[in-house]
Amino acid sequence: MSDNSKRITIPIGPQHPALKEPGCFTITLEGEKVVNAVVGVGYNHRGLEKACESRTYIQDLYIIERVCGICSHTHSTAFCQGVEELVGVEISPRAKFIRVIMAELERLHSHLLWLGVAAHEIGFDTLFMYSWRDRELVLDMLAMLGGNRVNYGINTLGGVRRDITPEMKELIHKTLNIVEEQNKYYIDLALHETTLAARLSGIGKLSHEDAIKYGAVGPVARASMVKDDIRVSEPYAAYDQIPVKVVTDDHCDVFGRAVVRVLEIMESISMIRFALDNMPDGDLAVKFPRKVPAGEVFSRTEAPRGEDTHYIRGNGTDKPDRVRVRAASEANWHGMQHMLEGDYLADVPIIIAAIDPCYSCTDRAFIVKDLDHGDQRVWDWQSLKRYSVDWYKKRGFDASKIKLAERRI
Amino acid sequence: MLMALFNIVIFPGLLFLGIYALFFAFLDRKLYARLQNRVGPPWFQPLADFCKLLGKETIIPQGADRRVFVSLPVFALAAVTTAFIYVPIWSVNSLFPFEGDLIVVLYLLTIPTLCFFLGGWYSTSLYATIGAVRALTQLFSYEVPLFMAMLAPAILAETWSISGISAYYAEHPLYILINIPAFLVAMVACQGKLERVPFDLPEAETEIVSGTFVEYSGRLFAIFKMAIDCELVVVSALIAAIFLPFHAANPWLGFLYFIIKTVIILILLCLFRASMARVRIEQMLMFCWKILTPLAIIQIIINLLVRGALA
Amino acid sequence: MSGEEKIVAQILERYPFLEGKITIQRRQRIIMPPLSREKFEDVFKYVVDEVGFHRFHLVIGVDDGEDLGFIYALSNEENIVLLLKQKAPKELPYIKSVCSVFPNALWHERELVDLFGAQVEDLPPGPTYPLPDGWPAGNYPMRKEWKVEYFDKETMTYNPPAEKTPETASDDKAKEAAK
Repeated sequence: MSDNSKRITIPIGPQHPALKEPGCFTITLEGEKVVNAVVGVGYNHRGLEKACESRTYIQDLYIIERVCGICSHTHSTAFCQGVEELVGVEISPRAKFIRVIMAELERLHSHLLWLGVAAHEIGFDTLFMYSWRDRELVLDMLAMLGGNRVNYGINTLGGVRRDITPEMKELIHKTLNIVEEQNKYYIDLALHETTLAARLSGIGKLSHEDAIKYGAVGPVARASMVKDDIRVSEPYAAYDQIPVKVVTDDHCDVFGRAVVRVLEIMESISMIRFALDNMPDGDLAVKFPRKVPAGEVFSRTEAPRGEDTHYIRGNGTDKPDRVRVRAASEANWHGMQHMLEGDYLADVPIIIAAIDPCYSCTDRAFIVKDLDHGDQRVWDWQSLKRYSVDWYKKRGFDASKIKLAERRI
Repeated sequence: MLMALFNIVIFPGLLFLGIYALFFAFLDRKLYARLQNRVGPPWFQPLADFCKLLGKETIIPQGADRRVFVSLPVFALAAVTTAFIYVPIWSVNSLFPFEGDLIVVLYLLTIPTLCFFLGGWYSTSLYATIGAVRALTQLFSYEVPLFMAMLAPAILAETWSISGISAYYAEHPLYILINIPAFLVAMVACQGKLERVPFDLPEAETEIVSGTFVEYSGRLFAIFKMAIDCELVVVSALIAAIFLPFHAANPWLGFLYFIIKTVIILILLCLFRASMARVRIEQMLMFCWKILTPLAIIQIIINLLVRGALA
Repeated sequence: MSGEEKIVAQILERYPFLEGKITIQRRQRIIMPPLSREKFEDVFKYVVDEVGFHRFHLVIGVDDGEDLGFIYALSNEENIVLLLKQKAPKELPYIKSVCSVFPNALWHERELVDLFGAQVEDLPPGPTYPLPDGWPAGNYPMRKEWKVEYFDKETMTYNPPAEKTPETASDDKAKEAAK
């Protein structure tokens, strides 16, 4: 008798409470055990690379920043430094430091976000609420520096657009103290809380050899003892002047990935402090030509989720010939099937969440055309806000009438 | 006759239980939210949810057996309400006490779980089927320690009626201390019965969407939800009656005591829920059979020895 | 002699015809010239097995006009990135899958099939990626001649304007001249 009669196949996604983004996992179960898993992504391919080819470099920068909502800064850094290398421009040391500070703040908020999502997947909603509350502090800092909670727009070709003033520096230091204090508690929780350890240990195994074979990057690889970090192996921006400690772990499972991430938060905090205190003076941006010479460049940065790769080919005009983005999530998908097989259904969401998947990175952008307004308009923040409020009012939703309780700390 | 009808429909029957269950649901959610540093819902939120669900369309899956599918929520609610009649509220005695009502209440409380199982099974949805199987697997693991933990105090009191047990411990308050391990076992095992974190496997939202209830909607789902909320009240009332037998002669004062006792138990259950992650099904089985059951057996042996020493 | 130079010397020793064509762009970057399929397969095997490029990052498809280019990014223990290039004519873009060596090439190669119309031999069966179901066959959006403007999202059809024949083109010119 074949085993097939005992097997059932269930779809997880593309719409599922555990995954807030479109990805489909066809899981074949034998009892509660996963015997086969097929990963399906690509539900929202946006074709960003094609869009980049028909726009100028400076326009592309803003498209590239929208590859991913969480690690937007690292994408624009990779793109900027690629184009800068193509032109042969060296940016000012201060701009390099500002890029590093933004990148590390972004890592903080991304890892805190992950901690919350992971806790939610295993039904530990208290930790989820706590870590997201602390993430708000980091987001406030990012909003102060870049003017936006995500897609900060701080990078520009040839440098950065905004400076960090001494008052901002002061405020960041203060916030970091709070975040550090909280994070010490999370480290303690991650390492010593028994239900958490029981749920995370031994699942989603990816051995050292497999991590290399499937090309895992970032915290997933580092949790399998692959000492791979672009910040160290190929220092970009100001990382050659800042001490970077690579966090690795030998658990090779979801628990290891959690440990790597919470410890990396501590590393990021100390790096931001060092960068703030040792920031040199100088210009923010240098003059940048419109036209970029022909040539090709392969640029890498370390995103919160791992290695982020950009390939840019110029053809002597003001538009690139080819832009290829490989975000970190895309590299980590490959080992997913291997990680899922042999585990329990109950562990599927947390294993998927453990690579910190980002679907928008995998399904890179398509073009959004405003058909109603054929003309291009520049809207300031106020008019955009008014537009959105009116848009919802027409549909019977008036947000201005909602009363919110005041935040108590 | 009229009095009996009043007792069944209004107090302490369906209406009072329903209102108190909604209050409990609010308290549970509010506490949980405050523990998580959130604001939490306003007091009428559970009632609003209930009313909203009543007004929603009820969808019955094509493959499901219509009659069974519709009757299961009602069965679950009826069983819980019946069980409540045998639990003492304002005095030591319940409404209709008889020798052996403890066993009857425990079995009546098993019916909702079976209804969840059958409801999930008859939904013919993959997620619901997995949830149903989990509900049944879970039943076999927590039921044994829960029963034993409840029966241990009865052995010491030498009676099988809840009222008798309450009366016995009201007379000998110090003997409650002997039952502390059984109290802890009962508190943990009833998390499984109530399908709350860490044992909320049958509905695990992030794994199997919402398990057994995935195909239930509208009125049927509202009744199921109500049954779960009522179960929370009945279980805490039962634990309060057996393990916290502090009574007052005055019925009004006794009623106040009842509310205080049940709320204390709810707070404990809420603390459990807020500080833990969901376990896996095999971890739950292990935990129940390897830790809770031996603990309950030890409690029974201790109680037997004490009984012997007293006699 | 830096690590990059050593690697180039090692490759040149085996494949003298590459003399002068390999560039060391900067530290940790070596760029190889585009190779035809037979030569590529040979060099790829050598580079992976004997030069020690064990990590595969991605394969980038490019449209070079007449040819389609495929750029394989590999790196070694010292984190030196080698861009290995393969070219195939656009009409017959046959390449061989590297999935047997690097399983993580799978999604990238599926992307080449969908977006560039490459014919990848030995590609394991599976879903298409990343284009949606119902995408018209023979449309490869990343090729330079494919224009977004001519694609109708509602009907999922690609409607390029009728190509100008020499006669109409000359008519246009005559009209312009008349103006």
